[in-house]
Amino acid sequence: MPKIELQQDELFRYSGRNFGADELEEALTIAKAEIDDPVDKDGLIKIELNDTNRPDLWSTAGLGRALRLYHATGNAAPTSAAAPAAAVNYDFFSRPESPVEAGNRRIVVDSELAERRPYIAAFAISGPPIAEVLLDDLIQTQEKLCWNYGRKRKAIAMGVYREDKIQYPVRYRAVDPDCTTFVPLGLDNELSLRQIIEQHPKGREFGGIVAALDKFPFLTDNSGAVLSFPPVINSADVGAVQAGDTNLFIEMTGTDLKPLLLACSIVACDLADAGYTVHPVQVEYPYDTPFGRTIVSPLYFQKPVSVELAYAERLLGVALNEDEAVQRLGKMGVRAEAASGLITAYPPEYRNDFLHPVDVVEDLMIGYGMNAFPSEPPRDFTVGRLTEAEIFSREVKTLLVGMGYQEMIFNYLGSRRDFIDNMYSHEQRTAAADACVRIANPMSENFEFVRPSIIPQLLGAESVSAHAVYPHYIFEVGKVAVRDADDNYGSRTVTALGAVVADADAGFNLVSSQAAALFFYLGLEYEPSVVDDPRFLAGRVASLLVKGERVGILGELHPQVLENWGVTVPCAVIELDLDHLQKAIGSD
Amino acid sequence: MQTDEDIKSLHPLEVTVLRRYNTGDVLSASVLQGDLGLNVGQSNQALSWLAARESLQEHNRRIITRYELTELGRDYAEHGTPEERVQDAAREHGPLPLPRIAELTGLPNKDVGSAFGKLSKQGVLGMDGEKQVSYVAADGASAAQADIDMVRTLLRRAAAAPQGLLEENELGDDERRLIGEISKKRGSSGAAFRVVESEIVEYTLTEHGTALRAAVEAAGLSGKEVGALTPAMLRDGSWKGTNFRSYSIQVPPSRLLIGRRNPYCSYLDQVKDKLVSLGFEEFDGPLVETEFWNSDALFMPQFHSARDIHDVYYVADPPHAQEIQEPFLSRVAATHENGWDTGSSGWDYTFDRDFTRRLILRSQGTVMSAKTLHQAKVPGKYFGILRCFRYDQVDATHLSDFYQTEGIVLGEDVNLRTLMGMLEMFAVELAGATDVKCVPGYFPFTEPSVEIHIKHPELGWFELGGAGIFRPEVTEPMGVSVPVLAWGLGIDRMALMHLGLNDLRELFSPNIENVRLRTGKQAG
Repeated sequence: MPKIELQQDELFRYSGRNFGADELEEALTIAKAEIDDPVDKDGLIKIELNDTNRPDLWSTAGLGRALRLYHATGNAAPTSAAAPAAAVNYDFFSRPESPVEAGNRRIVVDSELAERRPYIAAFAISGPPIAEVLLDDLIQTQEKLCWNYGRKRKAIAMGVYREDKIQYPVRYRAVDPDCTTFVPLGLDNELSLRQIIEQHPKGREFGGIVAALDKFPFLTDNSGAVLSFPPVINSADVGAVQAGDTNLFIEMTGTDLKPLLLACSIVACDLADAGYTVHPVQVEYPYDTPFGRTIVSPLYFQKPVSVELAYAERLLGVALNEDEAVQRLGKMGVRAEAASGLITAYPPEYRNDFLHPVDVVEDLMIGYGMNAFPSEPPRDFTVGRLTEAEIFSREVKTLLVGMGYQEMIFNYLGSRRDFIDNMYSHEQRTAAADACVRIANPMSENFEFVRPSIIPQLLGAESVSAHAVYPHYIFEVGKVAVRDADDNYGSRTVTALGAVVADADAGFNLVSSQAAALFFYLGLEYEPSVVDDPRFLAGRVASLLVKGERVGILGELHPQVLENWGVTVPCAVIELDLDHLQKAIGSD
Repeated sequence: MQTDEDIKSLHPLEVTVLRRYNTGDVLSASVLQGDLGLNVGQSNQALSWLAARESLQEHNRRIITRYELTELGRDYAEHGTPEERVQDAAREHGPLPLPRIAELTGLPNKDVGSAFGKLSKQGVLGMDGEKQVSYVAADGASAAQADIDMVRTLLRRAAAAPQGLLEENELGDDERRLIGEISKKRGSSGAAFRVVESEIVEYTLTEHGTALRAAVEAAGLSGKEVGALTPAMLRDGSWKGTNFRSYSIQVPPSRLLIGRRNPYCSYLDQVKDKLVSLGFEEFDGPLVETEFWNSDALFMPQFHSARDIHDVYYVADPPHAQEIQEPFLSRVAATHENGWDTGSSGWDYTFDRDFTRRLILRSQGTVMSAKTLHQAKVPGKYFGILRCFRYDQVDATHLSDFYQTEGIVLGEDVNLRTLMGMLEMFAVELAGATDVKCVPGYFPFTEPSVEIHIKHPELGWFELGGAGIFRPEVTEPMGVSVPVLAWGLGIDRMALMHLGLNDLRELFSPNIENVRLRTGKQAG
């Protein structure tokens, strides 16, 4: 979830009013936003935006717009689809069927991009000299949009340029990365595109997106002056924007057209709100796109969404009035019209989060405010119950506690050393590891395996608890995971009991008696059988069989295992598969 | 004077001693043994306890020597010493060869030899050229005879004395000389007596002791009070008329190690029980899951940023599930691509049917809500407290695996208002909240969504959880057409408070002593 840092005064300017600290906190809830860091001495405030489908809120202008519309009264709130969304009229938008005249602002796309980075959208702005604060905000918007919404520039990358230095048409091409050179932003010497992705900091960060391509995306003007190497880095000349510039060219390249067009619309609306005139740009493709071969951006491509009032009423639990519903959607910036129990909502230019009528219902909820929906307890009667496994586990835990055991609870992830190396000798380790569920992308070797048994962690507890008065009787009932080639998932999760006695007198006979008591009270007959398990002292370990099937093991741990764990007190253990036991009881 | 305190903690032995002696009396272990019939251990205990409470003071300390009759000595006392027996044999049956004397006396040859050596030196016995031993004493015999008689007397006296002990200071000069000849300092083999040296400590009553003695008398304590009530006393009725000693109840009891539930687990159980009491049925499932159930079935697009390699743990082997259950796979795939029959536009991309089989470690408890949908009852309420895994750096507020509390409610009539009503019920029942506030929230699988913030009596305002109504893109592919409320609660914060902890890692502490000492408040 993105966090943005902004000048509180700027936010208030876009909002059309000031808010006290508590008021702001409350007001931000309509944008699912929270104050992350309160305003500091420089007037900066940090805000976290929770809705990942609302990238339009990730800028000062966008968040301010949401607050402005929500709190606007009277004529600022639109009442029908015909009326503009707010005081700002975004009349620069084209529609697929009716493009705006873009003049000579054209981008010509090379056919070789079709399989590489096929889409580009752009516009230009003109107006007063760009202030530092606006430039900072624009750069932040670019970062948030391209990082969170544009998947770290893979889906969307954005560039801002000095339009005065551009000769239209702009050329979007695919070029040989080794023969093409320019001076990237931040340097003063020419590098090839290949050198840039290897040497330049931005190249190392984002070069991976294009590294596998035979030709790299490249943006120049008609004279050959380099704009940028998307999605990596601008040029040091045309691509170096600074405060005081008055005419900017803004483009975005990417792999998916609609998110790209939406991001383009968001930035255009933000700059329009900031008082700039937006000039559309016409992109000419030599291949087909979802909106044809010629697209003028910013483009309003969103479709209206209709929702039955009755559907909204069912979900919200209150009766709604058509006209009020339309007006409440207006507070959310959504133009709407209502007729015969059907509300048709037209998404604002900067939003594309209406996938389903239910999304309009949520805007209705926020538009009405939470107070419009008095809570009431659910009325349906249902029978509550625990799982059979939970009930059985509790029975087992009660018996263990009765035998004097302290219950423990451990994390399920651990290291190779804990689960394998400390438990098995060299020759056995490969097989032991193969029986475990291993993580392919561990964050640390300390958390690389899902535990196959509870015993290692009980020994881990012993290894850090030599100071605790003996005897130690400790157990856990919890999940373990074991590989199972027959299972659809290749592994099974098992509810297991693991118990350890650590004491000078801990031995086979003790845990054997305890197992006998446990089985007696669970109403199960079991048979100990000879087993060769190198974790235990030979001849002092028994596999436990119920109806001929192995359900667990008990015995004295091998001194080598204890030495591996640094445990200097004899340990005897019991481990049981409780799912199996429960099944055995059920089958009686 | 803290005689009041003392009198409550007096042991019967101490009472017995205090009642027997008065100011000026000299007490020692042997005195107590003689006067009170106590054994050595009891005597020493009584003295040391009384000295510790400063009722007695040391009066004198000295070493005394005593002679303790050995097993051999007891044999001599009964049958005579070797000298006596050899002399008698020679006098009555002589002249005789030494082996014959050994036969007659039943003594070993070496004892016969050394007795003869001693007696011949004293001129009591003589040996001729034939090696025949004869009784030859005439006048000189009287001194030797006197020694033999005196030794016999000493042996018999010792045999009759308690523990076979003779006090050195009660012996005459001749007796001391003779007993020295038949004693050894260490060990007992070959000697009739063992020399025992011991330190005698003598005490007298202090002022406090005198006062305590008066207090004991005033309290009517006899020292005959009984400590333990025994089965024998109950069987024979001797408990009747028995005075039972008062125990000093302020003495800190010794520590007991008991079997015990883990307080965090108990807390989780309490939450489960509470949810069951509210009509929720528990669900559970495997730790290893597929991308399909973990995210795809929840309508999170496969390109969603939270589904990055850096957010979810992937299983190394096997990497993929064999199959995803139909018709759910096809419906979910179509829902992602174009909305299927759900009324949604979908996410407008090509659903990856290999990626959806990718095995991961369950990253959110909502997995089980999704998996429960197609088999859920209507109306129905379900919950689970499920272990989940996140690709996070472990610290005080993040764990690599942790519990999430999640659930769903299905019903013809459930809606936003009942959702908030349910959340308020959780807030009051599970958290003891005094105030509740719902604000709009965002979760990829619910619409509308809310967050519930509660005012906890101790923690103040915090976010208890999130909830919403499952998107139709989630429910309809599972064949569910009624609204489904989905909720998740963050209970770890309350668990920490409940356990008096402030670090999530402590919930799973391997430190046995910490766990033993950890107590949880009763959940309220």
